[in-house]
Amino acid sequence: MAIAKVQSHETTLKPRKIPFNLWRPGPLVLLLPALASIGAVSIYPVLLGLWLSFRDTTLSSPTDTFIGLGNYFQLFSDSQFWNAWIHTIQFTTASTLLETLLGLMIALVLSERFRGRGIVRAAMLVPWAIPTVVTSKMFGWLFDGQNGVINYLLRSLGLIQHNVDWYGSPDFALGTIIIADVWKTTPFMALLLLAGLQTIPDSLAEASVIDGASAWQHFWHIRLPLLTPTLLIASMFRALDAFRIFDLVYVLTGGGPADSTEVLSTFTYKHLFSALQFGYGSALSTVMFITEIVIAVAFGVFLLRKMREIGQ
Amino acid sequence: MHKTAQYSKAAPRQRTLDQDLRSDKEEISPNQKPEDSIHRRDFIKRTGLAFAGVAAASTFLPSVRRGMAAGTNPTEITFSSAKFFGKETIAEVVDAYNSSQNKIHVTYKELPPPSSSTEVHQGLVQQLARRNGDPDVFTQDIIWIAEFAAAKWALPLDEHFNAEVMKEYFPGVVQACTWQGKLTALPWFIDSGMLYYRKDLLDELGAKAPETWGELIDSAKKLISAGKAKFGFLWQAKQAEVLVCDLVSFVGSNGGSILGPDGKTVSIADDAAVEAVQLMHDLIKKDQITPEDVLSWDEEPSRGPFTGGEAAYLRNWSYVWKISQDKANSSVVDKVGVVPLPHFPNKKSAACLGGYQYGVNASSKNKEAAIEFVRWMSSPETQLRFATQIGLCPTRSAVLDDPKIAQEQPFMQQLKPVFIGAIGRPVTPKYPQVTLVLQSEVSRALTSGNVKAALQTAKDKIQAIVKT
Amino acid sequence: MSGIQDFRQNPPQGFKFPSWDRVLIYPCALFIVCWSVGPFLWQMSTSIQPDRELMSPTPHFFPYPITFEHFVNIFVGKSFHRYLTNSAIVTVTTTLICLLFGSIAAFALARLDIRGRFGILGFILGVSMFPQIAIVAPLYVLASNLGWLDTYRILIVIYLALGLPLVVWVLFGYFRSIPQTIDEAARIDGARPMTIFFRIILPMSLPAVVTTGLLCFIASWNEFMFALAFTSDINHQTVPVGIANFTGVHYVPWGDIAAASVVVTLPLVIMVLIFQQHIISGLTGGAVKE
Repeated sequence: MAIAKVQSHETTLKPRKIPFNLWRPGPLVLLLPALASIGAVSIYPVLLGLWLSFRDTTLSSPTDTFIGLGNYFQLFSDSQFWNAWIHTIQFTTASTLLETLLGLMIALVLSERFRGRGIVRAAMLVPWAIPTVVTSKMFGWLFDGQNGVINYLLRSLGLIQHNVDWYGSPDFALGTIIIADVWKTTPFMALLLLAGLQTIPDSLAEASVIDGASAWQHFWHIRLPLLTPTLLIASMFRALDAFRIFDLVYVLTGGGPADSTEVLSTFTYKHLFSALQFGYGSALSTVMFITEIVIAVAFGVFLLRKMREIGQ
Repeated sequence: MHKTAQYSKAAPRQRTLDQDLRSDKEEISPNQKPEDSIHRRDFIKRTGLAFAGVAAASTFLPSVRRGMAAGTNPTEITFSSAKFFGKETIAEVVDAYNSSQNKIHVTYKELPPPSSSTEVHQGLVQQLARRNGDPDVFTQDIIWIAEFAAAKWALPLDEHFNAEVMKEYFPGVVQACTWQGKLTALPWFIDSGMLYYRKDLLDELGAKAPETWGELIDSAKKLISAGKAKFGFLWQAKQAEVLVCDLVSFVGSNGGSILGPDGKTVSIADDAAVEAVQLMHDLIKKDQITPEDVLSWDEEPSRGPFTGGEAAYLRNWSYVWKISQDKANSSVVDKVGVVPLPHFPNKKSAACLGGYQYGVNASSKNKEAAIEFVRWMSSPETQLRFATQIGLCPTRSAVLDDPKIAQEQPFMQQLKPVFIGAIGRPVTPKYPQVTLVLQSEVSRALTSGNVKAALQTAKDKIQAIVKT
Repeated sequence: MSGIQDFRQNPPQGFKFPSWDRVLIYPCALFIVCWSVGPFLWQMSTSIQPDRELMSPTPHFFPYPITFEHFVNIFVGKSFHRYLTNSAIVTVTTTLICLLFGSIAAFALARLDIRGRFGILGFILGVSMFPQIAIVAPLYVLASNLGWLDTYRILIVIYLALGLPLVVWVLFGYFRSIPQTIDEAARIDGARPMTIFFRIILPMSLPAVVTTGLLCFIASWNEFMFALAFTSDINHQTVPVGIANFTGVHYVPWGDIAAASVVVTLPLVIMVLIFQQHIISGLTGGAVKE
């Protein structure tokens, strides 16, 4: 799609689709494998989740009755839920923004030609390649309040006087988790954006150099607009994923101290898995689901508008 | 330990539905594991050639099972347990049972290690809730006993193990295995929180191991100001189960409790408890012998600095002993002592009781066989085996005194007084919900310093949970 | 501008900007390498230090003394290669099927006349948004009724569903960006849609396919929660579960974990080095330039 604009002054756009009759069984058959794979795993659990969210099922007790919206009312008056909700939104916003910016910077650098680019590209992916279970523990040690390398470095650089208690203080804990997440998932953004940048033809760069545009102007007026759809799709996936942040929080702080890093996933996990309150837990996951849909729709609308802008 | 793996191959099928257990059991035999696995790999390799590639092929292969005619027809039962390992694995112990007699054959199904205890709990509950008799025998964390008993998943065992027999176990454990007057679990192994201290540092001070919190604070302060130790006293306050364990020992050491014996009265906002939590807060903020980092520490992060020689005192479980005496791992070999945790003046020390215990599925179709099996698993001989081979501390007083243990795991006997004094966490079938409230509110109390208010909130919330 | 000269001499292939802008590239690249690899190097250094050093008050970056006991531990004592094999089987299969299904679907959505394509895209995205922790339990019941617990199948099926939305969406984006004229030309030559797809679209989108494949590969390589819930024996457990299994009751063998994570990360790094050629070729070099 990024190319669409480029084309618009070359060929007539409004693509003519390959008509149905060329493909006998119909194009829907092509979609079938993918849709079936996704549906097989998702539909039943989602419906079951919805159904459970209207019941007071707790696995370890005999109660299991229909209570209508009871769980939802309980949830909306649950201050811990809102606390987790706010943290999740804060986390999602901050980490998606930072990751997009950083990812874009990295992608721009890596799309240039220079010696050793292959190595840098491979290096860039390392954080994403380490299993999250390990990353979480690793960051636990790096940011350890007493013997952590980060404190050690900051102290030797004279940036801080005393050790910062990264995870043990309610003021820093969420921020530290955001840093860990940015480190871990920026490569995802960078890689997608890098591939996106590849679709922008060199002829455009050529043109802008001839026009005397600076690198900055070239980026701002030509590459960025063309990259926008990729950027939106990538950050949408990132945001949706960040919204479900779980491992990092669970391993590093368990939601503490004093609930200051509790996010929706850990909160739901505690109700679903630890307390086995399937009813209430399902209501929680349904609310997460709805929030995610809102996020996706917001991105989707924006994306469609952008695509139209560029496409026509 | 990886031999365990093959056993569980039986599991999927058994889980499908137990009717055709018959056909299954003849195919699988533990004695056959090695050939089976080799065969399996071979099979995949060969079949792989026929398919596009090894990877794609193995996807579609059914689990390979080889038939083997069993000579007799023993009663088949299943056993689910979290994974523990040492010189031996649980699978090997189960194997020993299977070959020791030919009436009962046990299939072991391994659950994740106890470090993933939430998953172990969830997996177990999911199976038990179906009430189809699978697994026949399971092991449960001590805090789940009330929950499993109240849900009537665990079979009451009183008629099989009378009071006389139960006297051979530590009374605290038997109490924890009892729910509303009925014995619903059989003791396996015990663990408890304890105080590790640096003998060498206290000798320099001319002090002995502290018995009260006051003594601990004094000596810790002296050691810190003399530059002998970076930290005074390390414990765990991460918002997780371990915080409740620590809480129980602090509150218990002031004669307080979280729930009354009836499981309904909430006593967490009583003076004794408030005073104890205030002490936890003061250790960090006022006396400053505990770094603020404990607010995000569970067992391992707090163990590190202690075995690294930086701390004077540590509250932790028995596993630390072995590490602290291991030269490859510790800089404090031979400098560490263990005593029960300190207490408030004129009160008694209290340690949090931990460990896994056996349970028999109330829906089991082979109850007799299941009971026979747990009887063997909990017998003195098997307990001794678990102690020497896997390092799990016996729950039978007599076994703990066995000279073999003195030889293999000498620390266990030193810990005996600690185990005897250990007390359980709140006993209620709603424990999983209660603990979440405690974790959140006590963490809040420790960070904000507003102890009374936080505990009052905890009380209100817990009351709402346990009253139903 | 002097850059033009430079530019003329080096025809674009990954466009090169005027030299005064390029001075910044190397510091930037250096920063990227440090930022990304720093913690990993530290991990590597951890993996060759004896346990006692790891607990010492001041962290050492340069390991002394060096030991390989952790690597011996994980392979000899903990059969780590078996987890690696399981992971490789599950991940490779997942990635290949995912790319096949996903690219065909994306092709159909992007280039064929399908009504309600955004509805379908929305559906694909929508179902994947249900919190994963909430689908573990129902799927567990489903899998156990099918007798699929402790199989590669169940993991592959799940990872496929988790990976497909991303693959479909990203490839959809790229496929849309390939000029429609190409299809038409081929169609005039009498090519069928699948021929167009396999002969023209797919080769042209190689960078995108490689990129999404890589993302998909790493995602299933690292997945933990489902693997933990659905597999209970070493014949099927994947690497992250294997690493989690190192932990005893409480004791975390940090050196072993570091060694294991070095071992699991290296193949990925190597793979990226191999495939990065493909990430840059394709679209830029190919047909897009009219």
